[in-house]
Amino acid sequence: MYQYTSFDKLFVKQRAAQFRDQLERNLAGTLSDDDFRPLRLQNGWYVQRHAPMLRVAVPYGELSSKQLRTLGRIAREFDRGYGHFTTRQNLQYNWIPLTKSADVMEALAAVDMHGIQTSGNCIRNITSDCFAGVAADEIVDPRPYCEILRQWSTLNPEFAFLPRKFKIAVTGAVEDRAAIAWHDIGLQLLKNEAGEIGFKVLVGGGMGRTPVIGTVIRDFLPWQQILVFIEAVVRVYNRYGRRDNMYKARIKILVKAEGQRFIDDVNQEFKNILERDVDGTEQIIPQAEFDRVAACFKLPEGVAPIAGSKLHVPADAPASFKRWTERNVHAHQIAGYRAVTLSLKRTGQAPGDATDSQMELAADLADQFSSGELRVSHDQNLVLPWVKESDLFALWEAARAASFATPNIGLLTDMIACPGGDFCGLANARSIPIAADLTARFDDIDELYDIGDIDLHISGCINSCGHHHSGHIGILGVDKDGKEWYQVSLGGLDGSAISGNASTPGKVIGPSFAAEEVADVIEAVLDTYREQRTAAGERFIDTVKRIGLDPFKTAANAQRRTTAQNA
Amino acid sequence: MKFIDTSRDRWHTITGEDGPMVTLTPTAYSLLTLIQWNGVRNSWPADMPVGVIFPNDADIEDLVGDLPRLSVVALHFPKWIDGRAYSQARLLRSRFRFAGEVRATGEVLVDMMPLLKRTGFDAAVMRHDQSLDAAERALRFFPGHYQADVNEHRPLFARPPEEAYSNVEDFNQAGSAI
Repeated sequence: MYQYTSFDKLFVKQRAAQFRDQLERNLAGTLSDDDFRPLRLQNGWYVQRHAPMLRVAVPYGELSSKQLRTLGRIAREFDRGYGHFTTRQNLQYNWIPLTKSADVMEALAAVDMHGIQTSGNCIRNITSDCFAGVAADEIVDPRPYCEILRQWSTLNPEFAFLPRKFKIAVTGAVEDRAAIAWHDIGLQLLKNEAGEIGFKVLVGGGMGRTPVIGTVIRDFLPWQQILVFIEAVVRVYNRYGRRDNMYKARIKILVKAEGQRFIDDVNQEFKNILERDVDGTEQIIPQAEFDRVAACFKLPEGVAPIAGSKLHVPADAPASFKRWTERNVHAHQIAGYRAVTLSLKRTGQAPGDATDSQMELAADLADQFSSGELRVSHDQNLVLPWVKESDLFALWEAARAASFATPNIGLLTDMIACPGGDFCGLANARSIPIAADLTARFDDIDELYDIGDIDLHISGCINSCGHHHSGHIGILGVDKDGKEWYQVSLGGLDGSAISGNASTPGKVIGPSFAAEEVADVIEAVLDTYREQRTAAGERFIDTVKRIGLDPFKTAANAQRRTTAQNA
Repeated sequence: MKFIDTSRDRWHTITGEDGPMVTLTPTAYSLLTLIQWNGVRNSWPADMPVGVIFPNDADIEDLVGDLPRLSVVALHFPKWIDGRAYSQARLLRSRFRFAGEVRATGEVLVDMMPLLKRTGFDAAVMRHDQSLDAAERALRFFPGHYQADVNEHRPLFARPPEEAYSNVEDFNQAGSAI
């Protein structure tokens, strides 16, 4: 993991001091609520339905056990005993009073954490592959680059008040597990024929009202130039992005509207920075700096290839352990090691939620089995990246006791869901009860296995925090006449291997459904798949691609009760 | 950062009853709108100090030819959360080497100070309700930054460790005590 220098530590501490100054002026009445709002947002403080929400940054999803323990303690001492891991690898609290916010920022700073730029119209926390540095299919470890980008984007004075939020995702593996095409900037690390490292750069992806897949703006940018190139992109966006309509303010709209002219502008700006600016070439990343940062990401102490090790499942092992090894245990780049997902998708808890004691247990498991390190996944689970194959059975038993061992990773109940209308002030409808209905209905593990690999994503509103556009099945909450309705879409792809390494928004299968119809609709859609699939091996998404939406529409429409009466 | 009290400032706008006047007689220390400047730029006496108020939705590149004649460029924040003028200021300094005053006008708030300073503003007309003390304090929280800016051309990674902090003295006196 990246080790904070004394500079980094002081910086975060001073950010907490700056925030306390702003909060105190707000409480004293000299900083109005309206003027305080953008400031608190850039420290992660939203005002939600019940209380302020705090979003804590987990840079590119890497967490130490010590940090996770502190997050658990904050949940217990300042919140109501739980937190929510998000699709952007962050952690959200829902019940902390704003008057306590400065105290919480100080508690976070003590373990090198903060809420810097987790909200507001600025460059947000940079996300990455949750298996970065351990994935068997990795070409280049993205973490040092993520950290250099984190530092560049942190309190960048020119880009603190962009037209709208700005999200960057980085991957360095064959499979895109970071949904890079769905980001304002998506970066794919690769090697050219000479073995040199560079980035494929995508720009202008995004969800929301207008889902757009990013456009490739560079096929291969030498890594040393990445800060300059991103500065060019963000500067063009800051100058020319729309500010008259917040729904048209994301960079994707500018890229769509301007097309090649946008690309030309960025390339010209890139050239201008390097050739004309007094400090342009200073931002080319020196090898020494890369080496300094990369040194933080060397193998944890004691981790080394283990010859002759392999994943051994004893014949008399419980079926649930076998299933767990199939679903929750992932290939690793170091012989004898595996990455293990701790599932945060289980009956009785909202997807991505963890209680204070669960966070502490996960921290204990990380200490015992994973060199004290964890990851937050884009799918809202926790990952232990450094588990010895010989420890898997012991880990499974411990994880099971902590309710982390549901063997459902990549299956229907491993769904993505935003907090929705139960918490979020923006939501049109609730997500959590829909997720709970589906988790309850599909609680039979054999049935889940039979349905197989599938991405189900739920968003409580068009802001798309639950990534419904990229779900093989997407569910979107909408508000009509003060009631909750749900639009169902099929065929969305997030760029991962089971999505065929492609990205595309799903298509809506008809008018929205009533809340009580949703679980029936999903079941009917899945039954249609099971009837229509060519063989047990054909995945849901492949059947959808092959036979089209009509059979699914027919099956879904047959479930209309409330909506049929209203029609 | 120079905090400007407009009642004492020698720079003045030229405004009639119906807004900025179109026809005007050159006077020293005039701060002209871009439209006014475009009307008089060819006849403005070479030795008469003049400044231009530049809108945040125009291309700052268009002003480059005039920069040697301008003592002040006033950049505008119609709303304080509209960050376009930060890019304009940065380009004025880093690309076009403008050495005159870059002044922040419009809705200018205390908490913008660190951003203004780092992107090249050296003067600010704050909104009437803002506190000078709070603005000066806002400039002292961070003894150093990661990126290069117009005052420090080297990012943190290009500076020797002993130069990581640029205003550490200020910081020791004020920031850490808060």
